[in-house]
Amino acid sequence: MSNSRGTLQVAPDLSDVFSEIARRYPRRPAIVQQGHALSYGRLHELANALATRLGDDPGTVAVPAAHSPETVVALLGVLAAGGAYCPVDPAFPAPRQEAMTTAAGSRTAVATGTPLAPQLGLGSVELPAPSELLGAPPGTLPARRAGTGPERPAYILFTSGSTGQPKSVVTPRRAVSAAVHSLRELFGLTPDDRVLQFASLNWDTCFEEILPALTTGATLVLDPDAHRGSFPRFLRMVERERITVLDLPTAFWHELVLHLAEDRLTLPGCVRLLVIGGEAAAPARLADWSALDTGRIRLVNTYGCTETTLITHAVDLSGPGAPGRSWDGTTRAPIGRALPHVVEHISEQGELMIGGPAVALGYLGLPEATAARFVTVDGERRFRTGDRVRRAPDGVLTHEGRLDGEVKVRGIRVDPAEVEAHLTAHPDVTAAAVTAATLAGRSALVAYVVPRPHATTAALGAELLAHLRERVPGHLVPSRVTVVPRLVFTPSGKVDRAGCHRRYATPHDQVGGDLR
Amino acid sequence: MSTDTTTPATPDDVVAIFRRVLQREDVAPDSDFFQLGGDSLIATRVLSAVARAHGVELTFDEFLLAPTPDGLAQRITAAR
Repeated sequence: MSNSRGTLQVAPDLSDVFSEIARRYPRRPAIVQQGHALSYGRLHELANALATRLGDDPGTVAVPAAHSPETVVALLGVLAAGGAYCPVDPAFPAPRQEAMTTAAGSRTAVATGTPLAPQLGLGSVELPAPSELLGAPPGTLPARRAGTGPERPAYILFTSGSTGQPKSVVTPRRAVSAAVHSLRELFGLTPDDRVLQFASLNWDTCFEEILPALTTGATLVLDPDAHRGSFPRFLRMVERERITVLDLPTAFWHELVLHLAEDRLTLPGCVRLLVIGGEAAAPARLADWSALDTGRIRLVNTYGCTETTLITHAVDLSGPGAPGRSWDGTTRAPIGRALPHVVEHISEQGELMIGGPAVALGYLGLPEATAARFVTVDGERRFRTGDRVRRAPDGVLTHEGRLDGEVKVRGIRVDPAEVEAHLTAHPDVTAAAVTAATLAGRSALVAYVVPRPHATTAALGAELLAHLRERVPGHLVPSRVTVVPRLVFTPSGKVDRAGCHRRYATPHDQVGGDLR
Repeated sequence: MSTDTTTPATPDDVVAIFRRVLQREDVAPDSDFFQLGGDSLIATRVLSAVARAHGVELTFDEFLLAPTPDGLAQRITAAR
């Protein structure tokens, strides 16, 4: 077993760092959306006013997650009160919202412009309207609230679970504070930076954008053109809003590079840092990126699990931080070296294990699942990532595959068993196998289902897609459902998910070809 | 591919874009992009191709309302 130990200092609590920055830069813009700026002073007031309304130690607080300043105010307010932020996408099917708030043990929701499903039965706390507090002094909260200790939960997020129910990861304040401290350094943020808020507010990637920026004095920029699906609009928005830092899912960056390469474009001159993460960076897209006029932009690849808090590993792939690196379209991109707050171990099987302050508290209400992944070795608590890695002499890791059946689809970890559980819950299905495949050059979920005898199979695929869309979020709905006579099994009698795909995939799935 | 701002978009133009982006041949003028396995991510390729060929910048929300070659060709023509 090998390991590397960073310098482990206790980072100051995130809420305290934000308050200090807000007092230092009260007039600087903290959040900008379509020309409207919310200053650090006002953001601090609003967050503290919400914290006061929530009361001391409010427990887990459900927040409707939308790309709006209100969601960011709610996040900071919940943290200031010592509560655990639990984002819920109001667009998720109501049963999923209910499963999430139940699993998270939430009793309270923050009421914003986009309400959660009414049947959740949560107590509601109104977000203060900006006009209510105009000119009010930033509220003073008691210095030590019960919920703000380093081991108290900061947020609760969901990962895919094999039973079909969401599995909630509880992340303590010391983990977020330590990770955000490292990320400010990694990104080299200054108060002059303008960081685009791109990631969905449901996933921890959004904290990589929001928290380092708002604990530096930088500006967080929200803009609907970030999510409209049109790259010309996206690029004009980046230029108009003078964005300096972009943090994009690797799958989206792949599409952006295809677009830039087709039109021989580069990113607007204001962009100095582009952070990617979520899945392996495609060697062909890296070569495309290198061939464009991108030499002044730091391209940073990142790696991390929800259970180890935001980012644990990073490396400059291209630009001023990676002199001499070149990409010829065949070399795999490394996932990076451990950030200063991360303790890294690699088991004899090559599994990456993470220790130190980044490790989450566990899965809420699931002691067995927690014990399986959070282990204690030599008196230290470590998370088993399930990722096989190889470490180069300079400490940079390369990903070599998974040790379990989990797959990553467009940056989101999915346990195929969860999707299979929902498929086999349908009365016309006896068995299902789900796996990730590369369809049209991007990762996608595919499902193979065996119908019940005498079931009408003509429209079963479409029927199952509709069945799933009513019950689970979009990332758990396969791109394709294929009805097959039987699944493929391994010699030991287990369902061979990859084997099903190899046997039943249509011939043109196998064709690579030009993606443009 | 050059930007053509004079010829209206035909459903066949959009069928060709869907076939190229989805890498499948079984696309008809009334096929739904999302039923064929499309998603918001590769929808960006369709929107980029439409912008290049027809000089019209549609959004993902507009595409959601007209996710077939017939529907999208009408949107493109209406937006010019």
